[in-house]
Order: sequence, then structure tokens, then C-alpha cells
Amino acid sequence: MSNVRQISVFLDNRPNQLKGVMAILKNGGINIRALSVADTKDFGILRMIVNDTEKAVDVLKDASYAVAVTEILAISIPDAPGQLSRVLDILGSENVNIEYLYAFTGASDKAVSFVIRVDDNENAANALTRGGIIQLTENDIAEM
Amino acid sequence: MERYWNEEIECMSREDMKKLQDERLVAQVKHVYENVKYYRDLMDEKGVKPEDIKGTDDLHKLPFLSKADLREAYPYGLLAKPLSDCVRIQSTSGTTGKRVVAFYTQNDVDMWEDCVARAITAAGGTDEDVCHVAYGYGLFTGGAGLHGGSHKVGCLTLPMSSGNTERQITFMRDLGSTILCCTPSYAAYIGETVHEMGLTPDDLKLKAGIFGAEPWTEEMRRSIEKSLGIKAYDIYGLTEISGPGVAFECSEQSGMHINEDNFIAEIINPDTGEVLPEGEVGELVFTSITKEAFPLIRYRTRDLCVLSRKKCSCGRTLVKMAKPMGRSDDMMIIRGVNVFPSQIETVLIEQGYSPNYLIEVDRKNNTDTLDISVEMNPDQFSDKVKDMQDQEKALAVAIKTMLGINPKVHLVSPKSITRSEGKAVRVIDKRKLIDNPAK
Repeated sequence: MSNVRQISVFLDNRPNQLKGVMAILKNGGINIRALSVADTKDFGILRMIVNDTEKAVDVLKDASYAVAVTEILAISIPDAPGQLSRVLDILGSENVNIEYLYAFTGASDKAVSFVIRVDDNENAANALTRGGIIQLTENDIAEM
Repeated sequence: MERYWNEEIECMSREDMKKLQDERLVAQVKHVYENVKYYRDLMDEKGVKPEDIKGTDDLHKLPFLSKADLREAYPYGLLAKPLSDCVRIQSTSGTTGKRVVAFYTQNDVDMWEDCVARAITAAGGTDEDVCHVAYGYGLFTGGAGLHGGSHKVGCLTLPMSSGNTERQITFMRDLGSTILCCTPSYAAYIGETVHEMGLTPDDLKLKAGIFGAEPWTEEMRRSIEKSLGIKAYDIYGLTEISGPGVAFECSEQSGMHINEDNFIAEIINPDTGEVLPEGEVGELVFTSITKEAFPLIRYRTRDLCVLSRKKCSCGRTLVKMAKPMGRSDDMMIIRGVNVFPSQIETVLIEQGYSPNYLIEVDRKNNTDTLDISVEMNPDQFSDKVKDMQDQEKALAVAIKTMLGINPKVHLVSPKSITRSEGKAVRVIDKRKLIDNPAK
């Protein structure tokens, strides 16, 4: 099993916050593979998978951002009706609780990729493997 | 071994001190009555003559003086010496309204600097020390006061003023500063910057800090002591009375000794003006008995605190004032409850947050709202929204436990709240903007 590292960044609920992070990543030559923003009334949490996790964390921390690195699961499924439902059935049958998930596009237009955040990665990964779901490694994503 | 700048005064018996105060008060009252029309009018109005004041026991007969009087008398109305005898003007920071200007003769400056020299000595300062003055220079008394006191002690004085924090730290390293003097919020910022520059307290020679000019908590003291590897001493003063050094902390760090040979302190009930016995909380009132140019009699500081004459382990007999709980004009009344920013600061530091925060008070639908923006703790950042909201809630509960009212807590990014190089602005009360549209 090879979990993928996701970077989360705390964003204030003010204009130009996302822009600030993007400018720093741009200057660091970082490429973003997957991204989602969770928003609340007070703040946002930017979550992303990048091509160079260490470097992205360094440049963001240098700029005083609050940054966390979390291991998540990434899967690739056919771009067809019912595919996500199948994944959720597999996880549901193992009682895996999903914190959040988001989709991103991969290299192929016949497949779609998802980031899945659960509390027990190992349990979920085993269930997905048994169910025949393709899991992506950090390397797979970096090379997309 | 405790060292004193003026052992005779600092360790004087209570009896001798009272005698000294009695003599000086009688002379001072005569001086202001004869030379200041404003005082003469106030005393005549109250039916008090200088002859009625035979010593400190008669102090309560004299009228109070408030900040409003100082504004009314601005600029020369309380001047007790010809301008040709004055050598200096200083002014309040104006954080709570119109500035107040104070005048000093050379004797006044000498007395003030002598008071600061006592404070520096009590913090362990000698002529071997390098005293790094990072209070603002200029009209503000912080820079001038510590600068003068440092000279008096014979320290090598670094007149840094505030700002350019990295340069401050470079000078500290290169020139071996041993005593740092600035506001506590700036000391906290310097501590933060030291660590950001990849340095530790071991890279510096600092041993002590003398911090004042704004209220700060014990929690903040411990946090500064840790980040800079020093012992942090409180110093108290106000421009109206002279400047920093009206009272200072000793090695016991449990309240500040008031320089009673120059300033008589009373604690009064702020509502009735009645003098309260030792040990009761009330408003601090000062009478300056040696100032020549700008002597204030029974000046109401609006600082709420307590006095104590308990024996101090340092050997000084000067009365001690507790750290003020807050200036009465820092106090907010929110939904009928008295709230001091220092109470909120205490909770934040206890809960592991930085002392950088912003309090916003407003009134919506006739109800007061209390919003507190707090810099999140980067170590506790989580990618899960719920974790972050739980942190907000836990902090709100802790603040509610302290204050008795429910705040709204908003976590904001680290370093996003403006750092202060002088007095920190912690409170925005939007209700005042609405109540007094003219201001």
C-alpha cells in the first residue's frame, strides 16, 4: 500500500488568500495535480496534491502559512455511470467513514481520479484492493 | 544579594518615609496654590486652603484631578514654573484620546531618571550592562525615560527606538545587549523573530527585560521569559506623573514598588472617590510631591489595582502596587459584564495560543457582540474542518468560563494580526463609533 501525501493550508476568509498561496507555489515552480477548498464561515482549508510535496511545504511554511501534511488515498476509476457508487459500496461494507473526497482529472480522458480522506487508511486501502479498485501512488500522480 | 540604587530611600522605615512625604506634600500644595490658578480655583471651590494640609493624613481633603482637567488646562494651565525654567516636554501616546503634554525642569528630569535607575538596578543592571532601549523615542516617555535611567546607572546605552526588528536582533548579538527595555508586546514579537531567524536565547547575552507602558499578564511574562531566556520585570509609569519608573519590580516579581519619596499613592472607590483601605481593589491615584514644573495633585490614573505593604523579600520598604488589572478605560462593558482584554489574553496563552489577538465589540439588534480573532496555532492545524471548528469552540468555552459571556472565536492565519512595535491595539469597539458619531 502506498499512501499519497496531501498538503492542507489554512486560509483566512478574506479576499486574495488563495491568490497568495498560488503566487508562492508559482515562485517555487510547484505544479498542482489535485485541489479542493473547504470553506466555513471563518476560514477555508485548501487541500492539494502537488508534484513536489517537500518543496511546497517548505516554501509555504517560510511564508508563515499553517500547513499540514496528511496521507490520503487516491484512486482511479472508469469515467462511467455507477463507478463512484461502486467505490462507496465497497467502503460502506467495511464501515469506513469518509471525511471528504474530491475528484481530479488524470492523464486519461477515460478515467477519473479521486482523493479520499478516511480515518483508517489501511482498512480502506485493503477493502479497495479486494474490490479491484486501482489505487494511485504519489509517483503515479506526479507523472500524470 | 539584592542591590539598590538608593538604599537609604528604598529601604527607609515607614515612619521616616511618612515624615518625608508629609514635609514634601505641605510644600507642594503651597507651591501649586501659589503658582497655578487652576489648582487655586479647584481648592477654593472645595474650601481647602494650603494651611489645612499638614501632612499626608490630610491628603483626602484635596480635590481630585482627572484626565479631563488635563485636557481643559492644555497646554499651559497646570504649569507651575516659568517656561524658562523648563527644559523638556513629553506627551502621552494619545491611545485614549487627545494628547496630554507634560513639562519638566532639569530637577524633574533628574528625579525621573533617578526613579528609572532604581528600576534598572532592581532588574540587576550595573555599569557593566549593555542596555538595549527599544521603546519608541520621541514625545513618548518610554524611550527618554529608560534612556536617561540607563545613563544614570552607567550602562552602555543602545538607543535603538522601536522597529526594524531584525536589525534590533543583529545589534543584540553583535553588541551583546544584556537588558532589553520595550513594551511587552514588542518583546514578544522580538522573541518570535529571534526564533524565526533560526536563533535561540543562547545566541544572545540578554539576562533581563524591563517591560511596561501597556498591561500584560503573568502568562505573557512567562512566555517572553522563555522565548528570550531572561527574567522579565514590570515597570509602571505615566507621562502625567513623570514617565516609566513611578513604580518598578524587584527580584520577587510580585508587584511594583512605588517610589514613594516622589509619589504618594492612594486607592479610591472610582464611583464615590472614597479612599479605600490597603488591600482593596480600586482606582490608583497619585500625588507628585517633588515635581516642579508639572506637579499633579491626586491625579486619577484610571488604573485599577491594589496596594500592599507586606514585607518584601528584596528588603525594600516602598509600598507595592499589583499589576493593574487594566486601565478603567480599557474595560469594556459587554452585555452588562465588565471585561478586560487582559482576561482574554490570559485564557489564550493558557490554551497555547499566541498573545496576538483582536477583540471586536459591536451591537447588533440591541445586543452586544464580542468577536475575538485569534491566530491559530500552526501545530494544531488539521485538514479536517471539524477539528478546526472544535478548536474554535473549545477556546470559546474557555473564554466564556473566564468572562461569563459567550464570545465568537475566529481562528485566523499565523502572523496575520499586525504586530505592534509600541503599544498594541487589541480592541476595536464599534459601539463607540455609533454612540458618538461626532468623534
